[in-house]
Amino acid sequence: MGVTDLIIAAVIVGGALYLLYHSLWKKKGHCQGCETGSCSKK
Amino acid sequence: MSTQLKYQDEEEANGETGGRADQARTITVAVAGNPNSGKSTLINAIAGTRLHVGNWAGVTVEKKEALFDFGGRKIRLVDLPGTYSLSPYSQEEIVARDYLVHERPDLIINVVDSTNLERNLYLTVQIMELGIPVVMALNIYDEAQEKGYRIDVKGIEEMLGIAVVPTSATRKTGLDDLLKTVLEVADAPKRRVPKKLNYGEDIETASEHVAKTFKISYPALLERYPQRWLLLKLMEQDSHVMKELNLEDQGFLDQALSHLRRAHGDDIESIMADARYSLASGLTREILHKPELRQTELTEKIDRVVLNRFLGIPIFMAAMWLLFKLTFDLSAPFGDWLGSMTEGPFKRWASAILTPLGAPDWTVSLVNDGVIAGVGSVIVFVPVIFAMMFFITFLEGSGYMARAAFVMDRTMHAIGLHGKSFIPMLLGFGCNVPGIYATRTLENPKDKVLTALLVPLMSCGARLPVYVLFVAVFFPNNSSTVIWSLYVMGILLAVLMGLIFKKTLFRGEAPMFIMELPPYRMPSLHSLCVHTWEKGKHFLIKAGTYIFAVSVLVWFMLNLPWGVEHKRDSYLGQAGAAIAPIFEPVGFGNWEAASSLITGVIAKEIVVGTMGEIYAPKKEEQEEVPTLQEDLKEIVTSFGAACKSAVSTLLYLPGEEEQEEDLSGLKLAIQGGFTPLTSYAFMAFVLLYMPCVVAIAAMRQEFGTWKWAVVGFVYQTALAWAVALIIYQGGRLLGIGG
Repeated sequence: MGVTDLIIAAVIVGGALYLLYHSLWKKKGHCQGCETGSCSKK
Repeated sequence: MSTQLKYQDEEEANGETGGRADQARTITVAVAGNPNSGKSTLINAIAGTRLHVGNWAGVTVEKKEALFDFGGRKIRLVDLPGTYSLSPYSQEEIVARDYLVHERPDLIINVVDSTNLERNLYLTVQIMELGIPVVMALNIYDEAQEKGYRIDVKGIEEMLGIAVVPTSATRKTGLDDLLKTVLEVADAPKRRVPKKLNYGEDIETASEHVAKTFKISYPALLERYPQRWLLLKLMEQDSHVMKELNLEDQGFLDQALSHLRRAHGDDIESIMADARYSLASGLTREILHKPELRQTELTEKIDRVVLNRFLGIPIFMAAMWLLFKLTFDLSAPFGDWLGSMTEGPFKRWASAILTPLGAPDWTVSLVNDGVIAGVGSVIVFVPVIFAMMFFITFLEGSGYMARAAFVMDRTMHAIGLHGKSFIPMLLGFGCNVPGIYATRTLENPKDKVLTALLVPLMSCGARLPVYVLFVAVFFPNNSSTVIWSLYVMGILLAVLMGLIFKKTLFRGEAPMFIMELPPYRMPSLHSLCVHTWEKGKHFLIKAGTYIFAVSVLVWFMLNLPWGVEHKRDSYLGQAGAAIAPIFEPVGFGNWEAASSLITGVIAKEIVVGTMGEIYAPKKEEQEEVPTLQEDLKEIVTSFGAACKSAVSTLLYLPGEEEQEEDLSGLKLAIQGGFTPLTSYAFMAFVLLYMPCVVAIAAMRQEFGTWKWAVVGFVYQTALAWAVALIIYQGGRLLGIGG
C-alpha cells in the first residue's frame, strides 16, 4: 500500500466518520421521522 | 417562549384593519381543537404539508407550523396539540394554552368534530374566553351528514358570534371557503368577535367583583393577558396562572368566591366546569338535530367484538399476525429482486466503472464488498419495511390502533401500569425514537421515564431486516408466525419489565386514563401512500447516511491489519472473537455474530449489513460476464416476475405457495453458522439488546441526563442475554435442537 493509497484511505475513513458524526451525534437524538412525527425539539 | 405582548382593550382590538401594510403581513392562524378532530389532516390538506396524522388521540405533541399563500396573502398555520380543555393538566394543554395566551395569533381556527359536537364545544367555549377572533371549522361534516345529523350552522354563528364553515379535511371539501373566511375575519376582526358567553348570575357577579379589585391592584397584569380569560382563571385559581402571576394578596379572591362556594356547595373548579359544560350542552341541543331512530352504527357493532373483554387481546394479536402475513407475502418477491440486483449487476457495474479508471483493487473491493454488500444487505429489506409501514398506517388511520391501545390499557392498568403509556409504545413499532419523545404526553415524570425505558422493547422497523433474513433461511414456511412471536415477545416483556420497575424504581399509583375511541374510517389511498413514505423514507435516509458510513468503516476493520488473510484475524474479527465467549451459553458464540452485534449498536439494521460484509464471497473469475444490455433485461424481467409472484401469493393462486427458496450468498453463509434454535435466540437478542444510539441520544435529550439512557442500556442488554439463554438452553433441554 503506497502513500497515495494511504491518503485515499484516510480521506475515505475521515469522510465516513464525519458522516457518522453528522447523522448521529449532531442531531442529538432526532431521527428523520421526527420531522413529521411527534418528536419535535423541546 | 412567552413574549410579553400587550393586550389591547376590546374596543381597540376589534377595530377594522386595512391598508397595504396589513395586506402584506403574514396572518398567523392557530389551529386548535380536540384530539382526533382532524387538525393535522386539515393543515395537510390546506398547505400540502405532511404532518403526522393518525386516527387516534395524541399524535401532535408539540405545535407545528405551515406557511403558504392564499388569495395573494401569506398565512401561517400553527397546529396546536389536541386538547379537550385549556386547563393546565397535561403537556398538550400547556403548550396549546401558552401559545394562545402569550403569542396571541391573529385568529384561531377551532376545528370541531361534527360527529362529537357537545364534547368539542366545551373547548370552543374556553377558546372564546380568550377574546381572539375565531373561525370554527365544522370538520368531519360529511360523516355527520351520513349519520343523518342536521347542524344549524347559521344558529352557531348567531349564538357564538363567530364564523362557521363546514369542512371535510379527508375529502378536501369546504377548505377554500374556510380560507376565504379566515381572510375576511383577519381583515375585519370586529365583525367576528366571539360573544361574551354568560356563565350564570353567580359566576358573572363574582367575576365583576374580582375585576374591580384587580383593575385597581394589578392594572399591568390586565395588559399582559386576555381580560375575560384571566378573570376566569383567577376565579378557578388555576395553578399555572397563579404561579405565573405570583400575587401578593389573594384575599379579594376568597371574598368573591366564598359566596359562589356557599351557593353551589361545590369547589370552584367544578362550578366553572359545570358552567362551561352547561353552555356546550345547551348549545348542542339548540343546533344539532339527530335522527330519532338511529340504527346501530357500524363503529359500535365492530367495537362490540373488537373491545370485548375476552376477545379484545386475541383479536389484537390476530390483527398483528395478519399484518405480518400480508407484509411478507407482498414484499418478499421484491426483496429477492433487489437482492439479485445487489449481488449481481450492481457489483459488476461498479467494477466496470472503477477498473478502467485505474482505481486500486482495494477500492473496488471497498465498493463491492463494503458499500454494496453492506448497504445492499439493508436495502434488500426496504420493500418489507415499506409494506409494514403501509399496513401500520392503515391500522392507525382506520381507528384500530386506538382500540389496540384501549384493549392493552385495560390489561396494563390491571397490573398497576399507566394505560396511556401504551400509546408511545405503539408508536415505537415504527421507530422507537418518536415513541420516546411521545412520552411527554404523560403527566407524571416517573411514568415518562418508565415508558421511555419500555419503548425500546417494542420491535421497531430496524429490527425487521434481521428477522426477515433469518426466517427466510430457517423458517421459510412459518415466517410471519415467527416474526409475530418476536413482536409479541417485545410487548409481553415490556409489560413484565413495567411491572418490575413499578414495584421497584417507580413506585406510585397509576392514574386513570380516558381513551378516546374515534369512529372507524377508511383512510384514503393518497393519505396512506404519503404517510407510508414519510415513515419509510427514514430507512432510506439511514441507508444513505450512517449505514453507508458504517459499511465503509466495517470494511476497513475487516481488512486491517493490511493484507490480513482471514477476516477472523482482522480488527473487527478480533473484537468479535474477544466477546464471543459471552454468547457461547446463548448459542451464537462465533466471532461473526459477535462482530455484527457490536456494529449493530449504531442501528439494528447494521447487524445485517455487517453480516453481508463478513460473509461476502471471495471474488471468483466468472466464465461469462453478462453484458449491460443483458443485465438490464434481466432486471426488468425479474421485476415483472416479482410483481406476478406477489400478486399470486396474495391471491393464493395455486402453484405459487410451495416454491422452495433457492438460498444464495448471505443466506447460505448464515445457514452454516446458525441452527433454527440459535437463530431464534439471536433474533430475540437483537430485539432486546441495548437501544440504538439514536434512541439513547433521544433519552438523554428528553430527560436531560445520561442516567436513564445508561439504565436502559444495561437492563436491556442483561434482559436480552437472559432471554436468549432461556430460549437456547430451554430449547436444548426440550430436544428442539441446537
